[in-house]
Amino acid sequence: MKFVVSSTELLNHLTAISRVISSKSTLPILDNFLFRLEENKLTVTASDLETTLITWIDLDNIEGIGEIAIPAKLLIDTLKEFPEQPLTFQVNTETFAIDIFSENGKFSIMGQNGEDYPGLPELHASVATSVSMGHDIILSGINKTLFATADDELRPVMNGILIEISPEDVTFVASDAHKLVRYKRSDFKADIESSFILPKKPSSLLKNLLAKEDFDIKLEFDEKNAFFQLSKFKVICRLVEGKYPSYNSVIPTNNPNRMQVDRLEMYNTLRRVSVFSNAASNLVRLKISGNQLIVSAQDIDFSISAVERINCVYEGDEMEIGFKSSFLLEILSNLSSAEVKVELSDPTRAGILLPAEKEIDDEDVLMLLMPMMINS
Amino acid sequence: MDAFYASVEQRDHPELRGKPVAVGGNSRRGVLATASYEARKYGVKSAMPTSMALSLCPDLIVIQSNGKAYQEASQVIRSIFYEYTDWVEPLSLDEAFLDVTFCDVAGRSATLIAAEIKKRIKEETALTASAGVSYNKFLAKVASDYKKPDGLFVIPPENALAFLEELPIGKFFGVGKVSAQRFSTMGVKNGKDLKALSRENLVSCFGKAGAYYYDIVRGIDNREVIPFRESKSFGAECTFETDIFEVTDIESRFVAIAERAWRRVNKQNVEGRTITIKIKFYDFEIFSRSKTFDHFIEDKEMFIFEAVQLLQKEYPLQKKVRLLGVTLSNFNEESLEPVQSILKF
Repeated sequence: MKFVVSSTELLNHLTAISRVISSKSTLPILDNFLFRLEENKLTVTASDLETTLITWIDLDNIEGIGEIAIPAKLLIDTLKEFPEQPLTFQVNTETFAIDIFSENGKFSIMGQNGEDYPGLPELHASVATSVSMGHDIILSGINKTLFATADDELRPVMNGILIEISPEDVTFVASDAHKLVRYKRSDFKADIESSFILPKKPSSLLKNLLAKEDFDIKLEFDEKNAFFQLSKFKVICRLVEGKYPSYNSVIPTNNPNRMQVDRLEMYNTLRRVSVFSNAASNLVRLKISGNQLIVSAQDIDFSISAVERINCVYEGDEMEIGFKSSFLLEILSNLSSAEVKVELSDPTRAGILLPAEKEIDDEDVLMLLMPMMINS
Repeated sequence: MDAFYASVEQRDHPELRGKPVAVGGNSRRGVLATASYEARKYGVKSAMPTSMALSLCPDLIVIQSNGKAYQEASQVIRSIFYEYTDWVEPLSLDEAFLDVTFCDVAGRSATLIAAEIKKRIKEETALTASAGVSYNKFLAKVASDYKKPDGLFVIPPENALAFLEELPIGKFFGVGKVSAQRFSTMGVKNGKDLKALSRENLVSCFGKAGAYYYDIVRGIDNREVIPFRESKSFGAECTFETDIFEVTDIESRFVAIAERAWRRVNKQNVEGRTITIKIKFYDFEIFSRSKTFDHFIEDKEMFIFEAVQLLQKEYPLQKKVRLLGVTLSNFNEESLEPVQSILKF
């Protein structure tokens, strides 16, 4: 088996899929790329068993077909050092020896039998859902929600992004029980209602691949796996099984106290003031009265305190509420509008942050943060 | 104090003197609280199961503990301490840290004070004590254990680092059996080996304790002597006569223990927010889980319900259970700290 491929093109494809390879893989063969040579294309697979990334390159200079597993790190390290040039891969399918011929040299690697590489999960066609979704929708959905996912071994469903499709829209939800993000897009409509929970790792892998994508994504899923078909990649991932908690019921709807404030100004103020917050609690207090937001923090242990005022537009009763500044900063930095609306009911209930103006007409972003109880 | 409970028994019962004596549960599954120095020669140690101790030393005389006598002796000792300083932090009935920095016994060094306290303890209780003197709690504790029984050992600042380098890892106060084992697999035998490890490395292996180890081997321990320490948790636990495995059995016993724990909490009139359950398996592996609520646990039903929930999360238990326990902690006074509230899904 033999093929010729551009060094940089191969490197680009391999780098993109290599991020799935885990350094603490349980199966040694998963440290390899699986190369499969067909009539006129080379398909390369990388996997950690939970998530599999596949990419392909069309080639015309091919002799023979077959499969071989090639050590991923060694191959990438080698390719990185080549300037753009054609490389000839010659694979002995009996001994699994691979020789790479460059313009001036020869590099020999020992591969493994491609048949030992684990098989791919298959879609149960009878129960599967298949839709086509804008690449930008999935990308924004992941971008806006990923930071809010949990790391909770006891509740694995919280460690992923819930993706719900319906005839009206698609909704992405993530929460770690302190904060919650709900991102809706009404420029997508499905024939049916269905949902799945996408784990963190494939979410972040997809985020990177989608950033360079130009076309709609074919998305198929059943109870166990989801398949994302991009133009140059395929992502297959095992889903988090279980039921996502009913998130709508925890979003308060009656929030009579409404503030609108410049997002960056609030962000920068919080950054400064939070330096003075207690390192363990990270508590900052927001006091809103009239048209002023007073942000304050103190650390009694070190006798330090800070307070800063910002102008805002406020309708509601004078109130004081505490938040963990790191969470609040995270939320503000994941919103992108110039101004944010903050909706509150009382100091013990969740605060809701919304963009004051929409970036995209069809989107609906809601971020929620639970307060810190101040007992004094 | 040296072999405190056992020494009190030998003092009060002359027929026990010179014989291997241990104080502790003498039921089949009990554990020893203390062993006399005669018994220690056979390898008998405190916290050893009675059955194991008896197999090491068949002549061992195991005595049920007599709390009252120990309490009395303890009070005598403490009153002696308080004559020298108010900065006394009791570690247990028979052990305490004393900060004598501002001691008004003019002109006398800590070493002389220690010698005098030892002498007075001997005169007033007829028991021997060992003292350690140094410039922080960790070194003082290590020093006090270094020359038992009836010892007085001083680690002056200029000798501390050299002393710690030579000290076997198991003798470091705060290095338990499990950590010692872990260290030995890492090839750490003494202070010198420990010193070679980076803070990052230690923290990644031992968590918070790693940073502590990093400091103490350099003679750094800035903890203050805290004169009075309130109990930080209340609870109950029970070692069963025989190991249990049936879920119904485990649960009914667990509920009984939780009820006992609640009675103690109630008696103290405190409200706590953290429930911790403890399971010790037949092979002595200990497992604990805790949950902190954003509100106080106010009534017994809630306490028991939440505790059982915590237990049930661990089902199915893989091994037979030797001990179950449950505690409530995180009391009112600590809850002045702000608390992050959580969504109730």
